Amino acid sequence: MTTQALVQVLASGLLMGLIYALIAVGLSLIFGLMDVVNFAHGEFLMLAMYATFGLVLVTRLDPVVLMPLVAALLFMLGAAAYMGVVRFAMRAKANQGMVQIFATFGLAILLQGAAQYLFTPDYRNVQDTWLGGRTLELGGIFLPWPQIFGAVVSLAAFGGLHLLMSRTDFGRALEATREDQGAVALVGIDRNRVFALGWGLGAALVGLAGAVLAIFYYIHPQVGASFALIAYVTVALGGFGSVGGALVAGIIVGLVEAFTAVILPPALKSVGVYALYLAVVFARPQGLFGRL
Amino acid sequence: MIRRRELLVGAGALSLASLRGAPARAAAPEVVVGVLYPMSGASAQMGVDARHAIETALDIINNDHDLDLPTAKGAGLAGMGGAKIRLVFADHQADPQKGRAEAERLITQDKVSALVGCYQSAVSATVSATAERYGMPFVCADSSSPSLHRKGLKLFFRPAAHDEMFSTAMFDFLDAQRKQGKTIDSIALFFEDTIYGVDSANVQRKLAGERGYKLVADVKYKSNSPSLTAEVQQLKTANADVLLPTSYTTDAILLTKTMAELGYKPKSMIAQAAGFSEKVTYDTVGDKLQGLISRGSFSLDLAAKRPMVATVNNMYKARAGRDLNDNSSRQFMALIVLADALDRAGSTDGQKIRAALAATDIPGTRTIMPWTKVAFGPDGQNTHADPVLLQWIGDKFVTIFPDAAAVAPAKWPMNT
Repeated sequence: MTTQALVQVLASGLLMGLIYALIAVGLSLIFGLMDVVNFAHGEFLMLAMYATFGLVLVTRLDPVVLMPLVAALLFMLGAAAYMGVVRFAMRAKANQGMVQIFATFGLAILLQGAAQYLFTPDYRNVQDTWLGGRTLELGGIFLPWPQIFGAVVSLAAFGGLHLLMSRTDFGRALEATREDQGAVALVGIDRNRVFALGWGLGAALVGLAGAVLAIFYYIHPQVGASFALIAYVTVALGGFGSVGGALVAGIIVGLVEAFTAVILPPALKSVGVYALYLAVVFARPQGLFGRL
Repeated sequence: MIRRRELLVGAGALSLASLRGAPARAAAPEVVVGVLYPMSGASAQMGVDARHAIETALDIINNDHDLDLPTAKGAGLAGMGGAKIRLVFADHQADPQKGRAEAERLITQDKVSALVGCYQSAVSATVSATAERYGMPFVCADSSSPSLHRKGLKLFFRPAAHDEMFSTAMFDFLDAQRKQGKTIDSIALFFEDTIYGVDSANVQRKLAGERGYKLVADVKYKSNSPSLTAEVQQLKTANADVLLPTSYTTDAILLTKTMAELGYKPKSMIAQAAGFSEKVTYDTVGDKLQGLISRGSFSLDLAAKRPMVATVNNMYKARAGRDLNDNSSRQFMALIVLADALDRAGSTDGQKIRAALAATDIPGTRTIMPWTKVAFGPDGQNTHADPVLLQWIGDKFVTIFPDAAAVAPAKWPMNT
């Protein structure tokens, strides 16, 4: 393998890894907040992609400009999912963990079915974008602009999230709630409200990821599934609930996947990621940055 | 919430309806045919289009049409006392296990007399085995894996070509280009990791060896991957004279996008249809596929010689909002071929339908395909289903090979 090809694989893996991290972080955030795994995370991503596609169609604006709007829409969807579904699932008297799984899993199937019904199973594609199809060439290394942009958005989102968590009252309330749900209720914090905002924030982050992905990926009712699986592995690898862990794990997953595809037949490229995942689960069940 | 009382009333009404239905059925008999396609999941659009194609055929069979297709004239199947065909659709979600379960359900519960399907070769493999066990004829519409008709099944029938025939046509075309003085030395294979992709690649690898083409990349990839960057990187490094992809729609789109992103313009591409014959692929990335050649069973060009092709295409287009393509034309023909056999069998007995299918002899002019005829070998394969090669030029496919069917010379290489 030439140096050039090596650098290309490294760069491609890194860019994709940062996007994986952005997809995964919302999932990790919600889990950290309330110990609930959102099985509809991939469907949130899918809806964000359709939202981007639809808004581009209606407004004729570039998807880059529409990103905040998509994130806001997904924020509302996330908060609504908590208020309408998860809140009730958490009231279950027995087997609460299972009820939560079935509730979010059911939501996933509902959203998939609704998307297929409303949008048809045809493949969509955002055509009018300033970034689309452009590639940066640096000494024989090809870096697609949409992916570079996605990586920048991802890093910015992680930075913003860090500031939000450490500098704002909302962030502190979020952190306090994940530390001790009972105690925050005693000091007058409305737990339900924090949870709803947390779900909104998690969904808004995956909304950003969806808007980025819509620029260079096809849009389809099932598109969430393949990314959701990677998001679960990323979150488990980084440590459930750890925001920094999601960032590091996303990059690791992207790089391992890219290099596995070169070393092994590409059909086996997920093998490297899952082997690493298994190794981490055995050696460090809480993930790289997780707390037990 | 459904209350128990409503449920009882509903059940009562249903049983009354079925009582009333029984004598009516005796008066106007019907034949039930099970149709298996992916109606949900990543290939759902394929299933939706297949449904339109098969329902177009159903319209032609069950109603009186002035078309030179078997069973078109007169309503219903004359050989069965004017019986009409009723279709029961099942969704296999591109999953071989679901395909098997759905086939069993159609046979045991819906009491179908024959099965048609299934697009994905992996699903057709389990469905054909299930059909065989129940003595149920299976008309394989559009799965092209060669291994399907080599399992010694007695009730498997495939009117369309398989990948060996298609791949042979591709290499015949390459040989012809060589004879004209074009330099074609190396080929690259890129194929998805199920039976369809693997069988296709096995044939192409063998043909390349036999005919003296150097294999410079042999990339088996994971279908529905989030990214194909590393795979395309390998293809780009190899930079073969011809890239031969075997992919379904999702991967066809992603492959094309990734090639463009990584600055890889293959000199030429010859695709094994599937995703590369779908309209949506060209709606999405058609500008990057100018000059792509795909194998085909069907060509709208044929309408110039055989006006019936345009008539059927218009009927389909009214339902599906798109033209017939390689996949939907084969799906259409599958039900026509089955109806012709049912008509001659005059019975819904599996063995009688089997015998009638085995005796099928439909001249090519009575189909919408460029085939010589439909007649099955002992393995259930129609060996007269001559494939064509089509090239994407502007915004449509034109037939470029073989010479007898060609309407334009090939643009070769597609990118210079």
